[in-house]
Amino acid sequence: MIRSLQLQFSNRVTETPFFFARQDARLFGLLHLPEGAAKPLAFLMSHPFGEEKLWSHRVFVSCARALAARGHAVLRFDYFGAGDSSGMSAEASLDTHRKDLQAALAELQRRVPEIEQIGLIGLRLGATFAALLCESNARQPISPALRDAPLVLWDPILDGDAYFQELLRSNLSTQLAVYGKVVDNREVLTARIRAGGSVNVDGYEIGKALLESCGVSTLLTTETKHHTGPALVVQIAATEAQKERADLKALASSYRQGMLARAAEQPFWREIKPFYPRASQLQELTLRWLDEVTGAAPAESVGAAASGR
Amino acid sequence: MQQAGDVSAVTFSSGDGHTLFGTLHSPAGAREDLPVVVLLSPGVKMRVGPGRLYVPLTDALVAMGYRVFRFDFYGLGDSTGELQETLLADVYNNIEVGRYVTDTRSAIQWLRENTHAKKFILGGLCGGAITALLTAEREPDVEGLLSLGMTVTLASNAATPAKYLTRAQLDSRRQGYYRRLLQPRSWWRLLTFQSEYAVIWRSMKRLVVKEKPAAQTPAAATAEQRGNANPLFPPAFFAFLKRGGRALMLFSEKDRLQSEYEEKFAAPFADQLRPYLPQLQQHIVAEANHVLSFTPWQKEMVAVSCSWLQSLHGAK
Repeated sequence: MIRSLQLQFSNRVTETPFFFARQDARLFGLLHLPEGAAKPLAFLMSHPFGEEKLWSHRVFVSCARALAARGHAVLRFDYFGAGDSSGMSAEASLDTHRKDLQAALAELQRRVPEIEQIGLIGLRLGATFAALLCESNARQPISPALRDAPLVLWDPILDGDAYFQELLRSNLSTQLAVYGKVVDNREVLTARIRAGGSVNVDGYEIGKALLESCGVSTLLTTETKHHTGPALVVQIAATEAQKERADLKALASSYRQGMLARAAEQPFWREIKPFYPRASQLQELTLRWLDEVTGAAPAESVGAAASGR
Repeated sequence: MQQAGDVSAVTFSSGDGHTLFGTLHSPAGAREDLPVVVLLSPGVKMRVGPGRLYVPLTDALVAMGYRVFRFDFYGLGDSTGELQETLLADVYNNIEVGRYVTDTRSAIQWLRENTHAKKFILGGLCGGAITALLTAEREPDVEGLLSLGMTVTLASNAATPAKYLTRAQLDSRRQGYYRRLLQPRSWWRLLTFQSEYAVIWRSMKRLVVKEKPAAQTPAAATAEQRGNANPLFPPAFFAFLKRGGRALMLFSEKDRLQSEYEEKFAAPFADQLRPYLPQLQQHIVAEANHVLSFTPWQKEMVAVSCSWLQSLHGAK
């Protein structure tokens, strides 16, 4: 039996944790609802992979609460094999993530039937999954709520092969720390996965299905996108002086209404010395951009927001 | 992997007025005579624990017939409230001196009222373990501690690591320095004042100077005398043991927490600890790191935890 409990968070926002089904999986969700009628535009948040989700969790919570305080319904959920959802990461794949997003979309619409549009906000690999779903929807409609909706991509992963090779480095670091040497190098680890085994990265097993579907250099291309809604691509770097990334610029340009912005934030999806309950600059520039593209408020330059002015 | 039984997403109020979010996992045939196991988050990670460590543990305990509860402390995970610290080390330090005891007692009270639970086992890794102990000191219904890496020190002294490293940590560091002797980058760091010179000195000094074992720190010791030992740990641990509490003290071999427990508590307090040793089961997971990342380590942790609980309650 799956139960949920609705609780009044404050006079302005209600937060409801619950479980919902996706075929034979049980997914965890948390719905942030504003007081009174929610705005027609709601948001679905797509978290990053593995331990990046746990490190960045509070940044997601803060952003969801800020959106809900502005009148938007927001659904955060855990992918299969992550957080409180069922399953293990070794069983996940690009396909399971796509199905999870679709199930979360449907659940959001079921719980808040008055919403008309659902914008996606994703971080890292979660941003990639969000972008890919929007592209699938543009080619073959999955949900009319996605059509023309805003898409926010925080530090999206374009080259899946490079990303997973970077993840495997974490396994190497663990080997070095505990064995004093690297016993199995990246080539051995990759071969193990491709042979049907799995490799542990910070407690999460990476299996063949995930590596073969997501560990490709062309995971998210810069080819012309079919999604017609506004798209914000955010480059996150520790300093504002960091050079603009050409690949993210090209990604933003691939959208009809794409824009690249830069946010000066620490890599809060990893272990860093500062405690990071919110990414203030990232959150502010995202909210300002949403105001601009939805006509909710007088347009103030997102470029100004990106530089903290 | 579908979990049998019932799982509920819940919210409840803490004693400080925050709204805390959690999940209650109940087996299909829950044994009402068994205590509820409450797994407490370490550090700043949410209720599933680092690397979702608590998920396989929860599944195994539920399969044995236990109800398991996990929740987020205020200011973390999904719960309300805001923490004011700017550095992670300071967040850890405040956890180690009991910040989340109130939240944990509120969770226990919620479980009493909503599950009719009468007894509890509190467990967790690192910050979760010390929160469990400090709560157990105040809650007589806590009959056991499932400690997956008990911390007996204070994190804020991470700013001066050389001063407080254990002998085992210094020996490990020295081995690391030997391995890096042929790395130009390491020499560059040494010559450009980026190295931890005090740590290097102390680790090398051990080769020629025999250090005396740490003495028991008097209760009235100054901060300087106690070093980075958590002054709350010994009295809380002895109070828990004195009333008959039992504990699984599981450590990871390659984790500083194990050597810190031995050198900063078990050795200096050996005489006081001796009568209570039958109440303690100690286990070290060979080669494991702080968060038990690799699956074989997790499996061993789960197996040992289940075995310990079975020895307590005969659960199958």
